[in-house]
Amino acid sequence: MSEERFNEMMHDAARTYRVPPEPDFEAMWLQVEREVFAEREARVLRFRSPSWQLFAAGIAAALVIGVGLGRLTSGATGDAPAAAVAVAPRTDSVTSMTRNGYDRAATELLGKTAVLLTTLPTEAQTVQGNIRFSTQALELLTTTRLLLDSPAATDGRFRELLEDLELVLAQVASLRPARAQGEIELITDALEERDMVPRIRSAVARLSSGDD
Amino acid sequence: MTHAALVLEASTGYDERLLISRAKQGDRQAAKVLYDAHARRVHRLVFRICGDEEMARDLTQDTFVRIFQKLSTFRGDAAFSTWVHRIAVSVALNAIRKERRLKRTSEDLDVANELPAAPHTVEPDLRARLASAIAALPESCRVSVILHDIEGYTHVEIGQMLGIAEGTSKARLFDARTRLRKALSEFAKELER
Repeated sequence: MSEERFNEMMHDAARTYRVPPEPDFEAMWLQVEREVFAEREARVLRFRSPSWQLFAAGIAAALVIGVGLGRLTSGATGDAPAAAVAVAPRTDSVTSMTRNGYDRAATELLGKTAVLLTTLPTEAQTVQGNIRFSTQALELLTTTRLLLDSPAATDGRFRELLEDLELVLAQVASLRPARAQGEIELITDALEERDMVPRIRSAVARLSSGDD
Repeated sequence: MTHAALVLEASTGYDERLLISRAKQGDRQAAKVLYDAHARRVHRLVFRICGDEEMARDLTQDTFVRIFQKLSTFRGDAAFSTWVHRIAVSVALNAIRKERRLKRTSEDLDVANELPAAPHTVEPDLRARLASAIAALPESCRVSVILHDIEGYTHVEIGQMLGIAEGTSKARLFDARTRLRKALSEFAKELER
């Protein structure tokens, strides 16, 4: 084969060799944007999220009220034993308020997660739905981690539920439009295997009745 | 300035440094303009390397995720497009190695060897045979052919992309072309008519 002919063939290959079909570049960008920027912002949100601020503000307010009450009682009687007595109710008050704040945040998380998981199979198929679900899952994931890290997370059964939720939410957060169908099926299977939705409902019921 | 104008600027290299600088600071619009300017060529490149539509989409996305995550390390020593394509080639080759899709390569070679000679339709057959022969080349040779003869990069650029000397790139291309000629030898007589 002559050099000239071979070069002609290679020149032709530059036009014809594996010409790719046009993909959906916009959908691909949404995925890139989510992976790069949403995760970067989620890291910032962990320290700025309203639920975390609310939780911290609740604890701070409880401490201020407790300390104030203690000082008031101490000032009224003017002796050391009375001040010591004031410490006990203050601690109880803080614990109770922290508990209530934690339970409220947990109930809200479980409610939102239950809605997300039950609507996932039908509404996350489109690119936009897919993006919305994974963004929402990322936010819930942050709250789940905050609840798990909280000192108020003492109930073993509830912690186990949160850990399972964390895994499922992580799967939802990493959904990719191009593979959404298969991934959603895997998530749905995992939900059924782990009996997630009934466990969420029963946890909400326990939190509402104050048994937790 | 419109988005289209920004894309045009980025594709021509004008003011690309400013866009890169803004993207480094987390400016999504600047990042999108850079993406729009380079995504098509990156997608074509990775598709030509891997030959799989779905994989090429994923690899293109992975390439840009990596580009924006590593953008702070881009110092401008080489052209931005060279840096982008180096990451694309690296992502594609790593994925191919990981998924061990080399089996397809041997299958392509088998197909190439089974193609019958057809004197009256030499051109389409020849093109198909050449495509199969390229796909069947060893990885380093295949990438050299794709980057140099098909995508049009210079040996200097290929050296920068693959982290090899310019001479090594030339040697690999020579080896690849020799193998391709050999694979096409059955058609030599037809071609010279």
